[in-house]
Amino acid sequence: MLTNKKRVFWEAFLLTTVIFILGILLGVAFESRRSSNLEDYYTQSEIVSTDLFVLNNLVDLDSSNCEDLIQASFDFANRIYSEALLLEKYEDSGKITEKIRLTHRKYDLLRTFLWINAEKTKNKCGEDFDTVIYLYEYNPKNLVQKANQNVWSKVLGDLKEAKGDSVLLIPIAINSDLISLQAKINSLNITKYPAVVINDKDILLGIDSVSDLESYLI
Amino acid sequence: MDWFTILFLVYSFLGFYFLFLFFLIYIHNRKEFFEVPPITKRYSLSIVIPCYNEQETIEKTVKSVLDIGYPELKNVFVVDDCSTDNSYNIIKKLASKYPKVVALQTPKNTGKASGAKNYGAKFAKTELIGFSDADSYPQKGAIEKMIGFFDDPTVGSVTASVLVNRDTKFIERLQAIEYRVIVFTRKLLGFIDAIYVTPGPLALYKREIFNKLGGFDEDNLTEDIEITWHFVAAGYKVAMSVPAKAYTDVPQNFKGWFKQRLRWNIGGLQTINKYKTAFKEKGMLGSFILPFFVLSWLLGITGLAILTYRILKFIFVNYLSTLYSINVQTAILSAQDINLAPNVLMFFGVVLFFLGLSFTFLALIYSRDSERKFKKYGVLGLSVYMFIYLLAYPIILIASMYKYLTKSYSW
Repeated sequence: MLTNKKRVFWEAFLLTTVIFILGILLGVAFESRRSSNLEDYYTQSEIVSTDLFVLNNLVDLDSSNCEDLIQASFDFANRIYSEALLLEKYEDSGKITEKIRLTHRKYDLLRTFLWINAEKTKNKCGEDFDTVIYLYEYNPKNLVQKANQNVWSKVLGDLKEAKGDSVLLIPIAINSDLISLQAKINSLNITKYPAVVINDKDILLGIDSVSDLESYLI
Repeated sequence: MDWFTILFLVYSFLGFYFLFLFFLIYIHNRKEFFEVPPITKRYSLSIVIPCYNEQETIEKTVKSVLDIGYPELKNVFVVDDCSTDNSYNIIKKLASKYPKVVALQTPKNTGKASGAKNYGAKFAKTELIGFSDADSYPQKGAIEKMIGFFDDPTVGSVTASVLVNRDTKFIERLQAIEYRVIVFTRKLLGFIDAIYVTPGPLALYKREIFNKLGGFDEDNLTEDIEITWHFVAAGYKVAMSVPAKAYTDVPQNFKGWFKQRLRWNIGGLQTINKYKTAFKEKGMLGSFILPFFVLSWLLGITGLAILTYRILKFIFVNYLSTLYSINVQTAILSAQDINLAPNVLMFFGVVLFFLGLSFTFLALIYSRDSERKFKKYGVLGLSVYMFIYLLAYPIILIASMYKYLTKSYSW
């Protein structure tokens, strides 16, 4: 009888452990599936970015390809912007594995590349479009900063919607441990976040309205 | 993994463990749930009813005890704790009318039920001693369904199903659900010798053991919890008879309910503190009852802390976001901006909730009362019970912890 009574505690422990492990495995599988989806998108984006890189080199030889380069930059920016929205949606649900965080870092690298590439494109082809770089902190602990970033994202989203293809909007998380990104940020002397860099010359630290932001654009 | 995820996973693991434990105990013992040992001997019995300002209910309680239908009931000691109302006169009238009833009065007000109970217990000379609160009504046949358990020499005490007497007000209906869940849970704990309370409305004890252990602890606000732990610590089992029923009046307003729950929880803390060294000892008290009690507290408080943290964080971030949005004249964040992508924590939370809900339904089914027809609890009653009533418990835990630590409590 006593053995039976003791047994139920072990049975409950075993059952809990099994359910718990299954739950964790399910969670890992769920996160992996999302991560895998994002990886597929990333691979395609990586191809586009390499294509952009080649196109950039081509412009060095023949400036008649400027129009194609600008259009390709916008297509690429739009592409990774929509993928960023998906990434953001999945990010908060990544509780167990670090895969989504890693994907985020890779995207930040692509965005940094796009930022630098866009500046080069403007130098080569003339200032026909605006670059709006949104530098924010990934997963901030400070709630005031989190609220600040929420509103910045919303304002910039509205700006992008209003201006369409005349604005190249690139959001980049600054705490992604990317040497190239850090070098670029250092060159602009930015130490406080979130920050918005417009056309590599105007740096905004406080939130502005869409109409105020428009005054900085070409 | 961040600290919040780890905390939530530990919380979920413990929550799952206790729920599975109860489900497994139920599965193993469901056929014996209503079983009562056959009567081989009718032990002599005295019942003590402590009374303080219970002029409205004392007569009904005494009559319920007299009508209980147990031939070996020798005396009913009704102990007035120096009431300031008409209780003692009613008790004296009952004593003059019914020979078994003995009217007693404490020399001075003891200020707690345990004082009056111990006073009355001194007069009992029977093999068993029983107690019933002055606002409770043991049902006919209840004792007959309890005494068979005493044939086991290791059983020191037997408790009954305690159900709500009236459920006309909404708060009474919520308590009616709760009492039924408690009946179910207590019986399940009985199968593993881990009953931790013999509630006041109806409990029987072997008098010899009761006296040997010194009766009720008069410093404890929940003497019925303390004495049960005392019995278990001394190596005696506590049994429960589900078919034996006692109905009790419950608080009819929030203030009364809150005060009662504070008292229960402060008494629980007093008991944990008194028996804290039992952790080191073998037996169910140290290996299950005490850890279960402490973990229930921790789970309740942790659950409240997690929920409060999430809600406050959500409100704070959204408040600031709205404020900033207004400042820059952009659209305020809408429900679409709230990220609700499912994750493993959400999965565990949902499963845990549904397991808890299933347990409540199972308890309600098993503690169905064929003798009395109650209003159906309905979706509203069950929803309020699951989402508000149970969530209020951790708040009571924190309030009682504060009162216990600052010693600002009385009976």
